[in-house]
Amino acid sequence: MNTLSDISLHTSIFPTWCPGCGDFGIWGAIKKALTELAIPEEQLVIVFDIGCSGNMADFLRVYGFHSLHGRSVPIAEGIKMANHGLKVLVIGGDGGIYGEGMGHFIAACRGNHDITLLVHNNQTYGLTKGQASPTTTKGVKTSSTPNGLIENPVNPVALALSAQASWIGRSYAGDILYTTEMIKKAIMHTGFSLLDVFQPCVTFNKLNTHQWFQQKIYKLESEGYLSNDPAKAWALSNQEDRLPIGLFYENPDAVPYHKQLQQLSDKPLVQQFPTHVSLKAVFGEYA
Amino acid sequence: MNWKVAGQAGEGIAVTGTIFAKTCIRHGLWSFAYGEYPSLIRGGHNTMQVSASTNPVSCQQKLLDVMVALNEDAIALHLDEFTKKTVIIVDKKNTKLNWEKYALSSTIFDLPMHAISLETTGSSLAENMVALGASCALLGLDLAVLKDVIKDAFHKKGEAVVAKDESAAEKGYAYTKEQGLARAETIAPHPNNQILLSGNDAIGLGALAAGVQFYAAYPMTPTSSILHFMAENETRFPLVVKHAEDEISAINQAIGASYAGVRAMVGTSGGGFALMVEAVSLAGIAETPLVVVEGQRPGPATGLPTWTCQADLQFVMRAGHGEFPKVVLAPGDIEECFSIARLAFVLAEKFHTQVFILGDKYVLESAQSIVRPAEDWTNTRYSLAQETLPEDNSYKRFAVTPEGFSPRSLPGQPHGLQLTNSYEHDEHGYATEDGAMTKAMVEKRLRKIDAILPFIPKPQLLGPQDAEITFVEWGSTKLVIQEVLRQLNTTHPNTANAIHLHGLMPFPADAFAELAKRAKRLVMIEGNATRQCEMYIREQTGITMRERINRYDGRPFFAEDIVDWVENQKKETKTL
Repeated sequence: MNTLSDISLHTSIFPTWCPGCGDFGIWGAIKKALTELAIPEEQLVIVFDIGCSGNMADFLRVYGFHSLHGRSVPIAEGIKMANHGLKVLVIGGDGGIYGEGMGHFIAACRGNHDITLLVHNNQTYGLTKGQASPTTTKGVKTSSTPNGLIENPVNPVALALSAQASWIGRSYAGDILYTTEMIKKAIMHTGFSLLDVFQPCVTFNKLNTHQWFQQKIYKLESEGYLSNDPAKAWALSNQEDRLPIGLFYENPDAVPYHKQLQQLSDKPLVQQFPTHVSLKAVFGEYA
Repeated sequence: MNWKVAGQAGEGIAVTGTIFAKTCIRHGLWSFAYGEYPSLIRGGHNTMQVSASTNPVSCQQKLLDVMVALNEDAIALHLDEFTKKTVIIVDKKNTKLNWEKYALSSTIFDLPMHAISLETTGSSLAENMVALGASCALLGLDLAVLKDVIKDAFHKKGEAVVAKDESAAEKGYAYTKEQGLARAETIAPHPNNQILLSGNDAIGLGALAAGVQFYAAYPMTPTSSILHFMAENETRFPLVVKHAEDEISAINQAIGASYAGVRAMVGTSGGGFALMVEAVSLAGIAETPLVVVEGQRPGPATGLPTWTCQADLQFVMRAGHGEFPKVVLAPGDIEECFSIARLAFVLAEKFHTQVFILGDKYVLESAQSIVRPAEDWTNTRYSLAQETLPEDNSYKRFAVTPEGFSPRSLPGQPHGLQLTNSYEHDEHGYATEDGAMTKAMVEKRLRKIDAILPFIPKPQLLGPQDAEITFVEWGSTKLVIQEVLRQLNTTHPNTANAIHLHGLMPFPADAFAELAKRAKRLVMIEGNATRQCEMYIREQTGITMRERINRYDGRPFFAEDIVDWVENQKKETKTL
């Protein structure tokens, strides 16, 4: 049995990201986290959204599904319902997950599907060259908002809280070791986990830079924060002068979606292929 | 016999009709039940009609033997369905009518449904049971059979409810006898092996027989009842049913489930399918097996939500950006709904493709008696990678093969790692922009069309081998055309036959051309305004049809109208 490792994850394709891109840090943290979790290589599926983050599909040798922009979450839910023995990780960006896929994001929180949603939040559209994203700061001038962005940004942590996600964390791509630990915890959580990662885009986002983040971020646990109070988590998620990273909220009692389906109590759906089907019980109603 | 009930939505019209149809079936009669209803919860005009006969029946009939009229609209809106022989059951005390206005030649049977219901059950809710009892007496059906059907329909509501409904039916039956209106000649019930299925039920059963394990949908008429059927059966079978947040999610979940190895299906109508189209293209390049039910109703946009049409054929055939193979099957009756659903899963899995079951409100929501399909079914898996894959990881999910599809590994399978990719990709699945690889992959996927064609149901010739007129129809119009052929050929043998198309894409062009060549006069019949199938046939075969009957007012064809068309054509020819 091969477990995931730096070697098993290697593909011959080298990343196409810009030098200094926050995605390199997250990529490194993912590989380190997966290696440390020592999951058998065939027991993990990663669903990739479309964008710079999703292009990681070519840089990790796994069972992968490079889906459509915004549609990675329902693909992942389908995979998990069909085979809940698998670990399922979604990798996407703020455009796909909080923009085009916002409805799917909220529904996945509500359903407590046992998947990990890792969002590379760079507050811009990188792959399409720098337009405003759902998390871009109000007033910022971009190629699609030359007179300044009118909308207020979405708050992913607060949204996930209001949709009763059972694990909500945030990290920063520049801190690979910390991000590694957060990814491990998110994957090991039984139920839906959102890990929003601040990811500086060195090419298109001149506001939210590495230096900018490094001046503002602090770790929640360094201030004795306990992750069990949604009201406190809500207040912290709205902090702007300082930016907390770490585990905002965790509900260890929430039962994941697949564990509420009695037909999955014995074994995963995919292991119950109906070689023999009897319709006898159903016909009675139609006679 | 042709029986109909009409009244307001919320009065239990559909339940009443279903009970009547099942009563006919348990007498050994073939039955067809057709309902019309507006897009409302309460109020608005609802009807359900049942044709039953000792010979197979496949559609509703216009002229009625019995009409159960629960309000004035049930008379005013149906005047052209009444003849001298029609008996109209009406509660005169309860339904105030200006009778002179209608000049009816039919028999009016004043049945005090309201009073009998009140007297026997203490409420007016059993009026339709009184009417059912009366209908049985009028048509010579056995009261005991009706009572059995009532018991089966309401046993979940408890014995008290069943007893009240049964006694209401008894009183209705007795009252009719007292009035001297009961048919002297009774129909003896005899055991048979028929069941009453709607197209949606039959698709659901066919899917279960085929081993469906994942069904996702967002409710939309006329396919919502597939969702209900599947959800009802979720714990009887190894099946997960998901009412998703929208159609986009439904189809993407199904693609995910299919990628993970289970047989998956989604169901929707045109508007919901429009939202799914992006993912249709995804499944095309990802080569993920998927079955999609598209139940047509008139558009554009919200259109006529509860009526029928055949206007999404070109939309479904062309759905999805880019070029990739697709299978489109259009069931023509309830049996075909079952058999096509089963075939769809086999084709989808065998060829790693999407199969569309293109139905419409008419075939999906009408119910027909069919001989009970086999109870036990066996399923085999297709086109999966060998169980033990080489340890050197040389397995290629998207290997370029002569037949166009390549064995599929499933997540969880050792040494089967692969990337399923929405980007054009190489044989492992990694993204590529290489021109030669792109061309090879496009051609590989399109080669499936030739591989699939032999499995596509061939056009069927209905009626005599040779005839003066050959109708060409597809999908649900088969229900009506069978009756048209019965009527035309009974009086004048060899007047008409028909070519029925249920396998539409890839198009069985040679088989169609072979049948068309023998036709003296081809007449296309389809339920749309833009001649979608006619134009498609021309594109695929070069055959041009010069005569056509199109309907696009939300109503199904009626056999009588097509028979009239033929008769009128004859007259016109004579005057020339």
